[in-house]
Amino acid sequence: MAAFLNIVIVGLLLGGIYGLVSMGLNLIFGVVRIVNFAQGELVMLGMYGAYLSWFLLGLDPYVSALVVVPCLFVLGVIIQRFVLQPLQNEPFMQIFATFGLLILFQNAVLAITRGTGYSVHSELSRIVISVGDINVNLSRLIVLATVIVVAIGANWFLHSTMYGKAVRAVTQDRRSARLMGINVELAFMLTFGVGAALAGLAGVLLAPIYTLSPQIGGNFILAAFAVVVLGGLGSVWGAFFGGFIIGLIEAFAGYYLSPELKHAIWFLVFIAVLIVRPGGLFGIAGAEEVGLREQD
Amino acid sequence: MMKLTRRAALAGAAMALCLAVPGGASAEETFKVGTINPYSGPLALYGGEVNRGYELAADAVNKAGGILGRQIEILKGDATNPQEGIAAVERLATRDNADAFIGTYLSAVAGAASETALNYNKLYWDTNALATNLTERGLPNYIRSGPYSVSFADVSIDLILNSLAAKLGKQPGELTVWLEHEESVYGTSIAEHQKERLEAAGVKVLGIGAHSYKSIDLTDSVLRARDANPDIWVQTGYVPDGNLLLRTARDQGFKPKATVFVGTGDTKETLEAMGADGLEGLLVVSYPRPDISEAYGPGSKAYLEAYRAKYGEDPIAPQSMAAFVGFKIMASAINKAGSAEPEAVAGVLGSFDEPLRTYETGFGAKFDDNKQNLRAFPTVIQWQGGKQITVFPDDAAGDNKMVNIGN
Repeated sequence: MAAFLNIVIVGLLLGGIYGLVSMGLNLIFGVVRIVNFAQGELVMLGMYGAYLSWFLLGLDPYVSALVVVPCLFVLGVIIQRFVLQPLQNEPFMQIFATFGLLILFQNAVLAITRGTGYSVHSELSRIVISVGDINVNLSRLIVLATVIVVAIGANWFLHSTMYGKAVRAVTQDRRSARLMGINVELAFMLTFGVGAALAGLAGVLLAPIYTLSPQIGGNFILAAFAVVVLGGLGSVWGAFFGGFIIGLIEAFAGYYLSPELKHAIWFLVFIAVLIVRPGGLFGIAGAEEVGLREQD
Repeated sequence: MMKLTRRAALAGAAMALCLAVPGGASAEETFKVGTINPYSGPLALYGGEVNRGYELAADAVNKAGGILGRQIEILKGDATNPQEGIAAVERLATRDNADAFIGTYLSAVAGAASETALNYNKLYWDTNALATNLTERGLPNYIRSGPYSVSFADVSIDLILNSLAAKLGKQPGELTVWLEHEESVYGTSIAEHQKERLEAAGVKVLGIGAHSYKSIDLTDSVLRARDANPDIWVQTGYVPDGNLLLRTARDQGFKPKATVFVGTGDTKETLEAMGADGLEGLLVVSYPRPDISEAYGPGSKAYLEAYRAKYGEDPIAPQSMAAFVGFKIMASAINKAGSAEPEAVAGVLGSFDEPLRTYETGFGAKFDDNKQNLRAFPTVIQWQGGKQITVFPDDAAGDNKMVNIGN
């Protein structure tokens, strides 16, 4: 029973990581309708941002979020304005452009760091909370708490504020939204900025857990795509619960079956869900189609 | 005045011409060695380090008369991937007339570069690549003087059977081991070899865990090993998964009596991730370091001094000393053969029968039919107070002592 409970905790903590990484990806997809292949690299930039803040300013990684997250927001706005907006009428080209950004970011960091693996330290990441046989590192608990706060916050923002309603209007029908006087381009820029900022937040919070490498974003992004599609494209709660589902499946399969098989098993579940519910568990039916519709 | 100056200038030019001709001739007299390594990009740090080993060896061999009576000239060939390896060999073989090639720690580059060198009938001497299949190809121009992945696996088992068992007060039959490895052919082949040898010695292998080195989470792998409660935990993989395993083991309170890492875990990257306290006692099988005893590696201290004198710092990684030794064995093989032709050099390999502990790294020289040196082994370091201390084999350790085993 202790082992079972332990694995549930491991799965939930892992789900928190997946959920946090997926949240920005899903927001960008849901609103801007772009599959952002560079999202993992934005997470990676967030991690290196935490390293740089520690190296240059001596900031604890958790404090460096105050610097890194706004920087990533600005980067996201710039990407949307100067890379993606000019390609607005060519959705395929937008996807290729994000792929180009992936290669650009990865190689730029590679060139600067020469591939040496860096580590970021925080006193908090050394604290382990033990209850009986269950051990939880505080840094992972912080990730879990953050994803819950972000999900609730995003939900509140989208449903209870005027800006949120504008974003939802753009999501549902950008032509009508424009007719209602909503600045669609601005909504896109801000959304992409927030999506990038969330990736940055994920990067900062994950930095104390991992050894940083320029390719590390790729390790998260495959799972994040699975989470987003499983949970439902464009749905905040989809990314949230999708993360936990994938995390729990991975932990159980890894412990009780074999760590070699865990990815195969969650992809099996993923395919099964797609067959039964093509829109994902929380998605709106047809969302996978409108993602690539003609844009105006 | 003017006239004189012009005459002087003419005379000077004539003299320079006279000097230039024999000078040019002697430049052709050098023995050119193409050194294939990544000198740019993310892998350049270790590529440059390996090349330093070659440069130091060339200095030493030149002092002793060079190769085939000619002074050695090193020509760097930058190769970060197999395609660049092919291009570098082609350029050095055709444009620069390299006499022989030596290289690198990247197995994929070594494979491609050696095949290209064969097209030009040039020797490819390998000092640092680890993949088993490189020698298994039986390429006529490919010779490896350094240890390979099986040697790393063997030393990890020797450590367990000949040292750790006694320190834990157990017979091999009472010992339990968990083998963890990354899931590609590299980690898998080493783990299979380890299992075979451990079970032949009667050691109980409680389980084998495979994981991807790109894993986001390795808590499941650590919990499986922890719940099996082994005496010794052995991991073969890369830096990111090794660091994540160590962190997770710390979080989960998994403290086996001894932890052995194979191949990685002995660099600053791991020290930064875990801190000196987090690494205390960790054993790592890796290339022999210059701190090995003089009895085990005769000349290792002199090597370290030569390195410091030439580069003004301590070696960045231990790979350079294996490169240094490999270059010297190559030079003596070519001198013995009287030619750098691959067939001639391969022909004299059978005459090498130097016992272990002949060279600075503790290597000897005895080649098998695939031209693999059978007397080249890694050594084992232990992290003690944030420093890498050689602790095995016993005669390599000298006065160094293994600490923290069984606590």
